[in-house]
Amino acid sequence: MISARVPRILALLVAWLAGTAAAQAPEYDLAARAIAPGIWVVEGSTENFSRGNGGNIVNTAFMTTGAGVVVIDTGPSRRYGEALRALIEETTAEAISHVLITHHHPDHAFGSQAFEPATLYMLDDARAALARDGEAFADNMYRMIGDWMRGTEVVVPDNVLAPGVLEVGRRRLQIIAMTGHTGADLVVFEPLSGVLFASDMVFHNRALTTPQSPGLLGWRAELEQLAELPVTVLVPGHGPVSTDLSPLRQMADYLTWLDTLLADSARAGLSPAEVMNAPIPARFDGISERRYELVRTTTHLYPDYEKRALSLLPE
Amino acid sequence: MNILINILVFVLGCLLSVGVRAAWPDDPFGSPMWAYNIERYLGSDARVVHDDRVNLRVPEFAEDSAQVPLTVDLSAFPEAPGQIVAWVDLNPVPHLFSASPGPQPLTLLALNFRVQQATTVRVAVQDREGVWHIGSRYVDAAGGGCTAPSQTMSNPDWERHFGTIRGGAFSRAEGMRYKVNVMHPMDSGMVGNIPAFFIGEVELRQGNGQPLLLSMALSESAAENPMFVFEFGQRPPRATLWLRDNNGNQFERRLGGDL
Ligand SMILES: [Zn+2]
Repeated sequence: MISARVPRILALLVAWLAGTAAAQAPEYDLAARAIAPGIWVVEGSTENFSRGNGGNIVNTAFMTTGAGVVVIDTGPSRRYGEALRALIEETTAEAISHVLITHHHPDHAFGSQAFEPATLYMLDDARAALARDGEAFADNMYRMIGDWMRGTEVVVPDNVLAPGVLEVGRRRLQIIAMTGHTGADLVVFEPLSGVLFASDMVFHNRALTTPQSPGLLGWRAELEQLAELPVTVLVPGHGPVSTDLSPLRQMADYLTWLDTLLADSARAGLSPAEVMNAPIPARFDGISERRYELVRTTTHLYPDYEKRALSLLPE
Repeated sequence: MNILINILVFVLGCLLSVGVRAAWPDDPFGSPMWAYNIERYLGSDARVVHDDRVNLRVPEFAEDSAQVPLTVDLSAFPEAPGQIVAWVDLNPVPHLFSASPGPQPLTLLALNFRVQQATTVRVAVQDREGVWHIGSRYVDAAGGGCTAPSQTMSNPDWERHFGTIRGGAFSRAEGMRYKVNVMHPMDSGMVGNIPAFFIGEVELRQGNGQPLLLSMALSESAAENPMFVFEFGQRPPRATLWLRDNNGNQFERRLGGDL
């Protein structure tokens, strides 16, 4: 365990050496935007993690219910979580009763220390994934955003969120368990206003990420289920909020292209470095970080496509 | 630890390179190991030039420091390549492979390597005159690829898959490409008390008394469960893969031709 801490200590040391001028800690500048009566979104950028943005690349949200505020995701660090909680308390007098963590990725689950442990909820498989990967994610986050992470510890929620209906005050939230992004992905639908909190099942104008994805085609099939809901506002995990289903179409198009690229490349015997350099169609020009994520996705998923395209050679 | 090793290696590099350096061009990446590794792998009297026709493709960052893809595309190299040597400057054992192509011109070679930290990667190709043509790339990395235990060994049923070899032959406009995947832990010997256990010798044979298509010596920087790609500018009539690891296990498989 000591060795696992070393990169973190080094990262802090580097941050300290580099940040002589930044004696005061960096601050997140969060703003709540109303998207429906009693529902707000806190939008992040569509960049990658950096010391400039402190990992504020994610959309979080909260809603009043008459019986307690429901928060969706806590952000990338303790400090983000604290800023989010302060923003919620500024926006409404209602107490926070439920904090739903959509999946175990650090940008969604690392602000949880700012909230009461009894209010934290997560799908059971996502809890297990957070317990398994959390420390490694934390080391990586210290490396990528440095001082913004100060004081952040992994918190695995005690409360298990079950698929079905979660009734809080006047809202009957549909709790939908999916798998495409990480194997345990929570999607929340609020039927009163038709707001779909898709989290990272939907990236909008930002390339999707695949480090824990069980498969591109399974992900695409789950998006078809979401398209059947009576959605008026779609809140993606990353990228701009939409009042139509165009982000779902963009995702399906992108997933189909990715799967075809990997399958065709494997059938042609291409090496992974060749796939990473493959042309990306011009229709995806509006999707940020697409080349960066193609390098990552090739690393994560191409080895399986390659093996499937080869035959077992008899001795 | 990494920093200490770097400083040590850098100091050693400085001490050893004093006074022996041939007229080598400057390293565009400014690596402290540039001259030291040229001397170590190519010799102190090596003649060296930078050459984009040694088209080295490595991602700008390592998403998985234990599996970083490398492709060297020699299709623009003006003659059939001679000796090829690849190394990863800041790895504990920088050497990745040395390859000797036979008379069939090798046009592409790919495999994955490990990185211990952000580093430059080099591939040197010798021409007929004996001059080394070097392609270089920089890869950013969180590190740990060399000192992380192999996933194969931590998987309880690795022995069931050990030595499983998958392959394919892919026709090119001119020539032929072979792709081979071998299930092998390729343990570097740098992790705790896990001894080195890796494939060090690779040959592509034509058989029938014909010269080898390729022979290759692999080192500890090679990644586990290696996926090799070899492409030749002319279609060999037949090809057989032969491998041997440092424990004496030998593997031999037909890759195609004469089907
Ligand atoms: Zn995610």
